[in-house]
Amino acid sequence: MDIKKIIRNIDWLLVFAVLALMICGLCLISSATYSFALAGGNSWHVERQMTFMGIALLLLIISLKFDYRILTNYTKYIYGTNIVLLVAVMLFGHTQLGAQRWIQIGSFTFQPSEFAKVFLIICLAAFMDKRIEWLEEFKDYLMVFLYIFLPFILVLKQPDLGTSLAFVAILLGMIFVSGFRYKWFLRLGAGFVAMLPLFWMVLKDYQKNRIRVFLNPELDPFGSGYHVIQSKIAIGSGGLLGKGWMEGTQSQLNFLPENHTDFIFAVAGEEFGFIGAAIIIILYFIVIWRGILIAMNAEDNFGALMATGVISMFMFHILVNLGMTMGIMPVTGVPLPFLSYGVSSLLTNTMLIALLLNIKYHSKTLQF
Amino acid sequence: MLNKKHQDRFQIMMIICSALFIVLLGRLAYMQLFRTSYYAEQADGNRLRQSKLLATRGLIYDRHGKELVNNLPGYAIALQKRGNYDQEMLQRLSELLQIPLEDIQKKINESARYYEPIVLKSNINADLLAKIEEQRRYLPDVILQMQPIRNYIYHDFAVHMLGYVGEVSSYEIEHGLFKDVTTGSIVGKAGLEKYYDKLLRGQDGISMEEVDVAGNVVKHFDTVLPVQGKHLRLAIDYDLQNKLEVFIDQHLKMLRDSGIAPQARAAAVVALDPRSGAVRAMVSRPGYDPNWFVNGISVSNWNAINDDPNFPMNNKVITGEYPPGSTFKIVTGSAAFETNKVTVDEQIYDGGFHPLVPTMGNAGGEVLGWLTFIKGLAMSDNVYFYELGYRVGIDNIAKYARIYGFGKPTGIDLEGEGSGLVASKEVKRKIWNEDWRLGDTFNAAIGQGFNLATPLQLAVMLSCVANGGINYQPYIVDCVLNTDGTEYLRPQRRKGQHIDVSQRTIDYMREGMSATTEEGGTASYFDSLPKKVAGKTGTAENPHGRDHGLFVAYGPVDNPELVVVAIVEQGGYGSMAAGPIVYEAFEEYFRSRGWMPSEDKQDCK
Repeated sequence: MDIKKIIRNIDWLLVFAVLALMICGLCLISSATYSFALAGGNSWHVERQMTFMGIALLLLIISLKFDYRILTNYTKYIYGTNIVLLVAVMLFGHTQLGAQRWIQIGSFTFQPSEFAKVFLIICLAAFMDKRIEWLEEFKDYLMVFLYIFLPFILVLKQPDLGTSLAFVAILLGMIFVSGFRYKWFLRLGAGFVAMLPLFWMVLKDYQKNRIRVFLNPELDPFGSGYHVIQSKIAIGSGGLLGKGWMEGTQSQLNFLPENHTDFIFAVAGEEFGFIGAAIIIILYFIVIWRGILIAMNAEDNFGALMATGVISMFMFHILVNLGMTMGIMPVTGVPLPFLSYGVSSLLTNTMLIALLLNIKYHSKTLQF
Repeated sequence: MLNKKHQDRFQIMMIICSALFIVLLGRLAYMQLFRTSYYAEQADGNRLRQSKLLATRGLIYDRHGKELVNNLPGYAIALQKRGNYDQEMLQRLSELLQIPLEDIQKKINESARYYEPIVLKSNINADLLAKIEEQRRYLPDVILQMQPIRNYIYHDFAVHMLGYVGEVSSYEIEHGLFKDVTTGSIVGKAGLEKYYDKLLRGQDGISMEEVDVAGNVVKHFDTVLPVQGKHLRLAIDYDLQNKLEVFIDQHLKMLRDSGIAPQARAAAVVALDPRSGAVRAMVSRPGYDPNWFVNGISVSNWNAINDDPNFPMNNKVITGEYPPGSTFKIVTGSAAFETNKVTVDEQIYDGGFHPLVPTMGNAGGEVLGWLTFIKGLAMSDNVYFYELGYRVGIDNIAKYARIYGFGKPTGIDLEGEGSGLVASKEVKRKIWNEDWRLGDTFNAAIGQGFNLATPLQLAVMLSCVANGGINYQPYIVDCVLNTDGTEYLRPQRRKGQHIDVSQRTIDYMREGMSATTEEGGTASYFDSLPKKVAGKTGTAENPHGRDHGLFVAYGPVDNPELVVVAIVEQGGYGSMAAGPIVYEAFEEYFRSRGWMPSEDKQDCK
């Protein structure tokens, strides 16, 4: 490999933002799991997260060697693997927190629905790339919807509302840049509203409750509203400068549940205050901003679509997760990229960043 | 190329994403910069648990240092302060404590402005304590508070003086009757407990702890220790008080059972030291057990007290206003001597009735013939005193009644003292809007009619006679003590004041009263005491039933140390109904002074 080319063609700002977020994540996880660590005598969570960070970054560097365009040759297999994995979850997956999401191979458990997002972005981008010339009429898009329908239903069945909504976000992002007309969006919206009652019936009870409680958290201050109330208290009480690392009373005294996974941003807000939390939000903004630039400057439609899918997915996760911890979005169990503890999500997100870097790396009209 | 053809879409995407980030940042800034204190307070409410360390109430001792009231260790059930409670938990608690859910809710609402735990039930029993401990995990907000429980060691002993404590009521809080109290605070409700509440109560302490989500204490903060209340040392003599209480109950029963006075259920007795005004004993009958009130009184006990026609809650020594009867002849006599309307040797004829108002005569219609003052007082002759009353006039009688302290509270350290009433033309005008007649003067002269006095006022009058004319403010609390037993303060009392009655007149009164307890007097059985006691019988007319029997006495006559006033409601003649009580008081007092062998020794003989 040509070192000069690497230095020139890597989006260093994006790399910096992602690494900074990963380091923040490690700090927050170690604070959030401090009491576990004390009890267990080791910092298992941090070590595991760090190990997989190393693996993920290694994979990222290796992946730069390959041109992303070779992926188009394998889309059938990728799509197939995706379906197989999701079906496997349904058949052999083990249940946690009322949802069947994990597959265990040896001592290693992972969430296929996390990887499904990567697979979906690649396959959908390739699928639309091939047909881009005749995606002219609304009915032309029906094929696209049909293509995504099977994995979507499989994820929804687990049930993993967060990931299935992420699929929708990815789809919407991609068709938006492909020139999907605004009035068609309105048509989709109207259709969705019409489908709402049906959708409500499909939802599990706990999901219905989450939506009810989102609309009024006081409805159940000791149940599902508890998370949001405690998370808001954590963030709000952080103030401008925060209570200091490992000093957050909400996190350290365990008032804040799931504080190392879905609610990690509340730990950031409580311990690092507005300054720390705002820096994290700005780092995410950098990721999204660089992503959009990469999409705009991609050399081919496949790259542009893929980059758009990646951005859509990140934006969805950031918005839904931060919105949830700050009480402006319902609780959907969506992890925060790079910050939340979770190996599958870490690998997935790093792969998506690898895709972005690769798209830029292998483009010729580069200078931005 | 897609991104050239639809470049605007990418720009719009950039705008949308930027807008979303601004929303997120805005929300963050709102929460962390503008609502910080709101959330910080909630975070503290989560982690900080403040609990009250209840102060122990001061103890109460008799004059010799014998403990009369102390405290026992106990527990109170309280609720940790929260914005809102799990209704299921409150329901469970309501069933456990047998307090209606609405009452719990009411207490929660009442405590809204305090940051302290809400006391739901004081002094819970061991059974309930065990049940609460068992169900602890379903009762996350419940705190067991150590709480000293007031204990009246001798139950109804001296109850009308000691009073009792109870939980402060919302009425008392709203009307600011007590300072520094919150819902659930224990305050004095009656008697000395109420009068000296501020001193007895002490200062509650505060303990602040940091707890985790499971309620485990993580850290202790500085604790403000509670300050125990001051102790009270009373002027009361336990032995005298106790003897009297026991004797009075027996005596009343005897009066009822023997048929002498079948309705004799109520009595008021006070014994005080005429040299200082120190109350040595004070008994009001019927009584009640103050321990009933400590944990909130039960319905049956409350009904027992409430339905009793003899008002067990009233301290009749200070609230009972009775016609003073013949004991008032001391006032009439004093007025006559002071206004020089009679001399001690002058004889007045008792023909069974007074010539000016022939319908008014002696009780029982006796005719005692020629009488001097001493004899007239000793035999309690009405006609003699009608004549004195006629000579001095109602205005002078009223004047000397006031000089002896009638018509206004004595100022004893208890609440609810009555003023009594001094008969006068104005009083009759006010009450009945009628002119004063000679018959009214006659009635007033022998302590009937409009005259009303509390037993304590009689005791103060008699003290003036006994001590040579000094009016002392009677008192129960001798001294307020620090917890280490040293003197904290002596309650302020007015100094003894010489009353405007000459020594000579007072000597005549003493002579007359001495003669009462001698051969031929109305209470000659006092002879058997080792030291001479001077007394006066009285019968207070009672329009609602049998007359009230009265007896007042002081002794020993040469150097009086004790004044005793006794009244037995519907007891009939004073010498029979009330005299024995006074006799018992002196017997006990003389024994304690070593002037009489103790009862134990008598038993040995």
